[in-house]
Amino acid sequence: METQQGIQFHTCQKVGILLILFVGIGFGFCMHGSSPSSEVARCEPNSESNNLNISSFCSFKKYIVKSYFEKYESFVESKFQDFLVDELPHSCELLPDNLNAFLRLSVPNRLLTGEGSHRHLYSMIRLNFQPESINQLPTHFCKVIVVERLPSGVFADPFELQHLLQRRVFTDVAVFGDKNLELPSVASNRSVVEIHMNVNPNIFFGQTNELEISIDLPLHARYQPLGESGYSMVEFGTPDLFVRCCMEGNLNNQSCLFAPSSDSVETKTSAVVWRIPSGTKIHTGIVSVITFVAAFISTLVIVLTSMFYSDINCAKTFKLS
Amino acid sequence: MAWINMNQLLLFSAIFRLILIIYGEWQDTHMEVRYTDVDYLVFSDAASLMASGESPYKRSTYRYSPLLAFLLIPNSIIHRSWGKFLFSALDLLVGLFIHDILKRRKVPEDLCLYSVMVWLLNPFTFTIGTRGNCEPIVCAMILWTIICLMNGNVVQAAVWYGLVVHFRIYPIIYALPIVLVLDQCFFQSGQKPLLVNWKSSQQKTSQNTEGPGEFGIWTVLKRIFTRERIMFGLISGAVFLSCTALFFYLYRWEFLNEALLYHLTRTDPRHNFSIYFYHIYLHYEREFSMVEKLISFLPQLVVQLVLIFCFAPDLPFCFFLQTVAFVAFNKVITAQYFVWFFCLLPLILPWSNMKLRWVGTCCTLVWIGAQSHWLFWGYLLEFKGKNVFLQLWLASLLFLAANTFVVVMFIRHHRCCPVFRQLKRSSLEKSE
Repeated sequence: METQQGIQFHTCQKVGILLILFVGIGFGFCMHGSSPSSEVARCEPNSESNNLNISSFCSFKKYIVKSYFEKYESFVESKFQDFLVDELPHSCELLPDNLNAFLRLSVPNRLLTGEGSHRHLYSMIRLNFQPESINQLPTHFCKVIVVERLPSGVFADPFELQHLLQRRVFTDVAVFGDKNLELPSVASNRSVVEIHMNVNPNIFFGQTNELEISIDLPLHARYQPLGESGYSMVEFGTPDLFVRCCMEGNLNNQSCLFAPSSDSVETKTSAVVWRIPSGTKIHTGIVSVITFVAAFISTLVIVLTSMFYSDINCAKTFKLS
Repeated sequence: MAWINMNQLLLFSAIFRLILIIYGEWQDTHMEVRYTDVDYLVFSDAASLMASGESPYKRSTYRYSPLLAFLLIPNSIIHRSWGKFLFSALDLLVGLFIHDILKRRKVPEDLCLYSVMVWLLNPFTFTIGTRGNCEPIVCAMILWTIICLMNGNVVQAAVWYGLVVHFRIYPIIYALPIVLVLDQCFFQSGQKPLLVNWKSSQQKTSQNTEGPGEFGIWTVLKRIFTRERIMFGLISGAVFLSCTALFFYLYRWEFLNEALLYHLTRTDPRHNFSIYFYHIYLHYEREFSMVEKLISFLPQLVVQLVLIFCFAPDLPFCFFLQTVAFVAFNKVITAQYFVWFFCLLPLILPWSNMKLRWVGTCCTLVWIGAQSHWLFWGYLLEFKGKNVFLQLWLASLLFLAANTFVVVMFIRHHRCCPVFRQLKRSSLEKSE
């Protein structure tokens, strides 16, 4: 009777475990149709899969910064500026020469939101077109490209950005440079985020001559180099802005990259500074000594208790026999 | 305890976990803060890479065995929550194993159920499984190894042990107590080992004289080379090495660096519960000398050895103390590590004479209080950007003190009870 009950009992338990697995599978099948499956979140330079529907009929390299990192291993400000000047096409036969005259980009608002080690860099980008001249543009669509050169000590998580990309917060986004998310500032290099935002086509049909694009880029602080004051000041430079348009040309559809000259990019905001806590050098000696003393005392307490009570408790148990 | 039995408890736990998983899905899609563990997304990405024939290590921060990615391949075929169901099912299985082990040791049913509840209804455990943390797999494998040993099935125990060490490395600390317990007094080929009953440990222990502390060096050396020990060592070693070799063949240095060497050499300067984090951060700009590495490793080693030599015969108790101490002295401590000893806690509770009302509550409050205190400073540093490194480090010292206190209280209030008793009556009588 008892065995029978035992068997029944075990069977019930096994059934229980199997049940949750089956329910899991069933739940999986039900949900599968309604939600996107978890795709590999690669926000890497070689990921060309996103947004193919738009860019496939335009022949251009998707990311500007990718070409830089094909040439150089790490990000160096001066090299990058040279690269922007020397290697990016600055004219396009399909674009009028005086484009700077009727297209202006500005960053009227730029600030860090949130607190602590995980914050957002908010940038508002304003495009101004002169409606009368815009009609000359034979465009399919345009994108604004924002290149954020992140200062040392701050990083963007490519996987988090990929998640935002899936939620269509950005048209395209990629992180280049040091993508190790765990290293402290002293052991890591700088990284660059390139963000693409589609421009509302209405702007080109004269309905409006101004467009504002808001970008909220989630950023994270690395551990800062040691200091005296207890805080590091990490200052953000202004972003590099570009407009890339897909043109209706005579031959095939062509893309044109337009880098507004410096006088047509206005940054009206003051410098954005992130104050990040950093370890204090004078703590070094005392912290090390007390850490090891605490470890030693704790070890001693456990060792003595073990030896004393293993004797008493166990001996008591054994003596009773 | 007539109001609930094991099946009802399991069913309730299963339904509860199911609800949590569904709620997690809802929170992930509707709220900014995800319910799902960040690591789960890492596993899923790695599994998806593996499903497409690529190396799981292409996903940065994937630092686990490829077996885990393999288990989660259905995440990209069936549904992304597959892994959570798998981990929660294993979490229930751990509950079953706890019940099974206690039953084998003849613990009364109500005590068994209370102990199982400590696992199944522990907020740490059910959130860990349903948020997609892989620790329930490790817990299940460790408990199954204990069950195999209790069954006298040394070969199977060795296979699972080799596998679990490959999977998570830290169970390597259990090697010595297992080897010590595989004594010829308890294990002889063809004979099932005899277990000490819970009842006899409450009144009198008649059989076991293989008391802790009686392991003289010579005796240990003489007894080391028994058939069971050699078999256990060879088989578990072979399983571990063949897993390592197979995955090294498949994924080369990526596997070795990420899944093995990273964990062995990990020093994290970012804030965590470990007392060493600020020390590591303050010295990160220069290399640690060999002496410093040795000094920080020494407390962990000494405590492990002393605990093993004092409590090895009471295997679950020894495992529990070892794990708490290992985590407390580790250079990196995250909250998921606590599950490592939560799965062993129910195995020792029936032998504790700690009064729940005073000492038990006091231990729980001290431990949770120290942890909450640390979390408060951690919150100020991470989410408020305040420089509280010093306070946070002091909080981690306090947490070490709390862990030490808990270990001491458990040792003081534990009724030592070896798992196995001697097989031969003659030797038994002699020693009595």
